[in-house]
Amino acid sequence: MGMKKKSRRTEPSGELNITSMMDMMTIILVFLLKSYSTSDVSVAPSEDLVIPVSSSQKPPKLAVNLVVSRKEILVDGKSVLRLTTYADPDTGEPTVAVPTDEKRGQLIKKLYDHLLEKAETAKDLGARSGSSELDFKGQILLQCDKRLPFGVLREVMYTAGQAQFGEFRFVVIKGT
Amino acid sequence: MASKKGEDAEDLNLVPIMNLVTILIPFLLMAAEFVSLSVIDSTLPAIGAPTDATPQDEPDKPPLNLSVIITNAGYTIAGSAAVLKNRNEGSEGGPTVPCKEAGCPSVESYNIKELRALLNQIKDEYPEEENVILVPESSVKYSVIVQTMDGTRDDPDNKEDGKARLLFPYVVIAGGAS
Repeated sequence: MGMKKKSRRTEPSGELNITSMMDMMTIILVFLLKSYSTSDVSVAPSEDLVIPVSSSQKPPKLAVNLVVSRKEILVDGKSVLRLTTYADPDTGEPTVAVPTDEKRGQLIKKLYDHLLEKAETAKDLGARSGSSELDFKGQILLQCDKRLPFGVLREVMYTAGQAQFGEFRFVVIKGT
Repeated sequence: MASKKGEDAEDLNLVPIMNLVTILIPFLLMAAEFVSLSVIDSTLPAIGAPTDATPQDEPDKPPLNLSVIITNAGYTIAGSAAVLKNRNEGSEGGPTVPCKEAGCPSVESYNIKELRALLNQIKDEYPEEENVILVPESSVKYSVIVQTMDGTRDDPDNKEDGKARLLFPYVVIAGGAS
């Protein structure tokens, strides 16, 4: 006994009590396992992209990702077009619009070119693979800011429709 | 002596488990999802082909073409035959379901409860109908459109077999009055 006491005194930090740390880690592990996601779709919410909450329960599937934030339009993470911000003449709140020189009628030219390219790639992939799983069905995921006026959304939807994307899936946050 | 042996047995070597857990935590943190997402399906009226799930209208019945027009005054419900009138006195020519506050300043001012009540009645008359056309005005906010799609899809206050009653789950967004 005397020997042991002496050795302990010379190595005071030799044995660390990690049991309490283990407890903590186990709890964190369980929590993280619970929130583990297998979803293909991810969003990066920010100040300019607030996704609305909905009671829809349909799980998202992977498709071409079109994001319309308060600053810009992105296709699959790549910025396509910057939107102009102006104050609404009626309410004075800031709203957005597509710059007029980027449009031809209702068509947003740059977005159309990008989406057409995506559609061609998807069709090519579907034809090569030969499986019906990868066939081009014109599905597009739309992530829009909740303050976006419908006028901009209509132009975006019209452009996507012209580029053969006719099935829209609006990404929303699942509410309770 | 005996008690000392017992102490040794309790002293488990937790270090390898700690290593494992420490590696697992960053990995799981990366894959963790803190907002759960869902989608609302919609098709373009002209270009989008109807999905397989959309039931075909019976040929002998004229289609209802139920439309909900969203303006800065409220909701107007219209069918192929007529526009639904507001039944309250003194609001002739206004929307079918006016906003709770004039001018609809916020998302909450749209009267979704009243809209649901009317759609429930329409569903009673046309139980086969499952399509609704949304016609929003240009300045209507996206969150209002999402809320309206929630309102037209089902009614959580009207339960059928423990589930919310399905109203008109297939939404089409049309061009809209600008």
